Amino acid sequence: MKIFIDPPNSMILFDLVERFGHEPLSTMAALQEKIDNIEVDMPPMNVTLDDVVKGLKYAGIEVPSGVRGRLAIWGPMIEEADAAIVIEEAPFEFGCVGCERSELMVKYLLQRRGIPVLKLDYPGDEEDGKVFVGKIKEFLEGLN
Amino acid sequence: MIKIAQLSCGTEYSSVQYEIEKAARSVGAKTVYPDVSAADVNKAIERFGFKPRSAQLKLMIARAVQLADGNYDADAVFITTCFRCAEAALVRNELRRFIQENTNLPVVTYSFTERMKASQLLTRMEALVTIVTRKELLARERQAGLTMGLDSGSSTTKAVVMLNNKIIGKAWTPSHNVVESATQVMNEALEMAGYEYKDLEAIGTTGYGRFTLGNHFSDKVKLIQEELTVNSKGAVWLADRQKGEATIIDIGGMDNKAITIRNGIPDNFTMGGVCAGASGRFLEMTAKRLRIDVTELGALADVGDWRNARMNSYCSVFGIQDLVTTLGDGKKFEDVAAAACHSVAEQVYEQQLQEIDVRHPIIQVGGTSLISGLVKAVGEVLGERPIVPENSQFIGAVGGALLSSGFL
Amino acid sequence: MSAERETRLLMICPSAKITPEMLVRSIHSLDINVSLKETCYGCLIEGTQKDVRDVVEYVRQLEKNAIFTKRRAYHMGDPVRCRARHGTRPGFSQLEEEWSKLPVIKAGLDSLDRGEKYVDSSKKEKLSVVKLKEICEVK
Repeated sequence: MKIFIDPPNSMILFDLVERFGHEPLSTMAALQEKIDNIEVDMPPMNVTLDDVVKGLKYAGIEVPSGVRGRLAIWGPMIEEADAAIVIEEAPFEFGCVGCERSELMVKYLLQRRGIPVLKLDYPGDEEDGKVFVGKIKEFLEGLN
Repeated sequence: MIKIAQLSCGTEYSSVQYEIEKAARSVGAKTVYPDVSAADVNKAIERFGFKPRSAQLKLMIARAVQLADGNYDADAVFITTCFRCAEAALVRNELRRFIQENTNLPVVTYSFTERMKASQLLTRMEALVTIVTRKELLARERQAGLTMGLDSGSSTTKAVVMLNNKIIGKAWTPSHNVVESATQVMNEALEMAGYEYKDLEAIGTTGYGRFTLGNHFSDKVKLIQEELTVNSKGAVWLADRQKGEATIIDIGGMDNKAITIRNGIPDNFTMGGVCAGASGRFLEMTAKRLRIDVTELGALADVGDWRNARMNSYCSVFGIQDLVTTLGDGKKFEDVAAAACHSVAEQVYEQQLQEIDVRHPIIQVGGTSLISGLVKAVGEVLGERPIVPENSQFIGAVGGALLSSGFL
Repeated sequence: MSAERETRLLMICPSAKITPEMLVRSIHSLDINVSLKETCYGCLIEGTQKDVRDVVEYVRQLEKNAIFTKRRAYHMGDPVRCRARHGTRPGFSQLEEEWSKLPVIKAGLDSLDRGEKYVDSSKKEKLSVVKLKEICEVK
C-alpha cells in the first residue's frame, strides 16, 4: 500500500515503511520527477510558476507562495495515499518541511481525506524506540 | 567573486530560487548558504531570542548567527521570505537588524511572490554588490572639491553643482532628449554657481539615462551609479541624517519609491507600479480640475480637512469623477485638495509600504515633497510627519555630486 | 536510465560496527551494476530501480537493523546539492538529527526481532489545577 509519511522527507519513516513491505510516498520521489524532467530548467528543484499556481487548489491567493508551492507537491501525494504515518511536533523539520503553516495544512488534508493515520512522536530513548517501531509495524500489518 | 549569503524561506517552492541565483550571477556574485549543523540551530535560537514555529526560519536564524560570529565568510547578505507570511516578516526584519548590529556586512531584504519581478531583484543584487565593492566610497559623508551630480530621471532631469560640501548651483527641467536635457540643466546650474564646465573636477550620473550621460561627458564623469544607493546618500546628506535608520519616500510623477536605510546605506526598497492614483499625477489632475497650479494645491490642502470631502474611489480615472461630484455637492476647495492628498498618501501606503518595514524618521523627497498638503497626509497615514529637507527634489543629483567627489 | 533511475543514501547507525568503507567494499563485491560513492555517514548508490533495490535488500541483512536508507531526488554528485559549492542545503540538518536517532530505532527493530512486546506507557497528563492546589495547601 502507499503510505504518506510526514515529515515527507524523513529517512526513518521512509526506511521503516519500506522495511515492513509497503511503499512510502516521499518528497524525494516527487522531486525526482521534476528534476529528471529536463524540459524545465529551473534548478534547484524545477518547481515552476505553474506548480505554485496548482497550489491554489489547496490554498487561496492570499496564502504565501511558499505554502502553495509546497502543497502543490504534497497535495497529490496525500490524494494518492492509502494511509499515513505522521510524526507530531517533529523537532527538526528542515528543507521541504520548513514551513509550519504548510505542515498544519498537510495534517488537516490527511484528516479530511479520512484515511487511516498513525500519529507518533519521535522516540527519545530505547523504550520509546521499541514503542515507535512496534506501533508502525502493527499499523502497517493492520492495513493488509 | 562576491559571495552573497542567502537567508531565506520559501524560495525553492515559489519558483524564485533560480531567479535569485541568476540575478546574483549577472552582477558578478554568487549565492551561498552559511554552513550550520543541527546542534547549531537550537543554540542560535536561544541566543537570538526569537523562537519561530517554522523550522526553515530557525535555520535562517542559525545561519545569521554563523555570520555574526564570523564563522562563515561572506561579503553580503540577502534575506528573503514569502510575501504575506507574518512569521517570516518578523524574522526577516529582526535578522536584518541583527546582522547590521553584529557585522559590517551589507544586507538587502526582499519579500517575494511567485510573480517576482526580475528587475527589482536585479536592482537589489546590484546595490548589494555596489555596497561591497564601493564600501569606502559610500562611507563618504562630506562632499569635497567642485563636483556635479546629474540625475537623468524618466520625468525630470536635474543637475546640482557642489563646492566643499555646499550646494552652489542647481537646475531642473522636464526630461526630453537625455543629453540635451542634461546639457541644459548643467549649463544653468553652472551659471548659477559661477563656474564653467572645464572647472568641474568630477561628475556623477544616476537615473535611467546615467550610462548615456556617462559616455557623453566621459572626460568628467567619474561615477555612474544606480539610483538606490545614490538617492540614499543624497537624502541623508540633505536631511543631515548620516547615522541611524530612516525611510526615504519619493512619490514621483508616475511611480513611487520607498527606501529603508541604515547609516546612509540602503537595505530594502520598493518601487511602485504604474498607478496614477498613487502618484503625483493624481494631484496634477486634481489641481487642473480646481483650476489652480499644482504648486498651490499643497497650501490649500494644508488648511482643508479630507474628512469633509470623503471620496469613494482613489483611481485617477474614477477618482476624478468622484471629485467632480464632490465639488458639485458644494464642498470647499480646501477640503477637496486635502482629500486628494490624503488619497495619494493612502494609496502609497496600501500599495507599497506593505513590503518594507517603515522606519523613523521618514524623509520625504522628490518634487511632490514640495506639496505640503501631501507631506501632511503622508504624516497622518504613517503616524509621524516626514522630514522634508531643503532641495529635496535634488536628492539624486546631490548624491551624484557627493559620491563623485570620492574619486578626487 | 532516467525513467527508472533511483538514487539512495545508505546511512549507518552510529552504534553499528560496520564502517562506510566496509559497506562500500561489500557492495562492490556484489555483481550488481550500481554507482557508488562513499560518504561520512555511509554511501550513496545510483542505478536502475531494480538494481538499487537488490542492493538495499542485501544491505539490510549485512548488519541487521544497522543500515538505513531513503531515496534521494538528486543524482549522485549533483552540483545543485553539493555542500562544498554553496554550503549545506536545508535537508542536511534534518538528516543529521535523524542519524542521531538511529540507535533508538535500531533498538526497537532488534526488540521486535527478539519477539518482544512493547509496553506503551501512555503520556503523562498535566497536573490539574485542583490537584496542584491540594499539594500547595498541604505544604
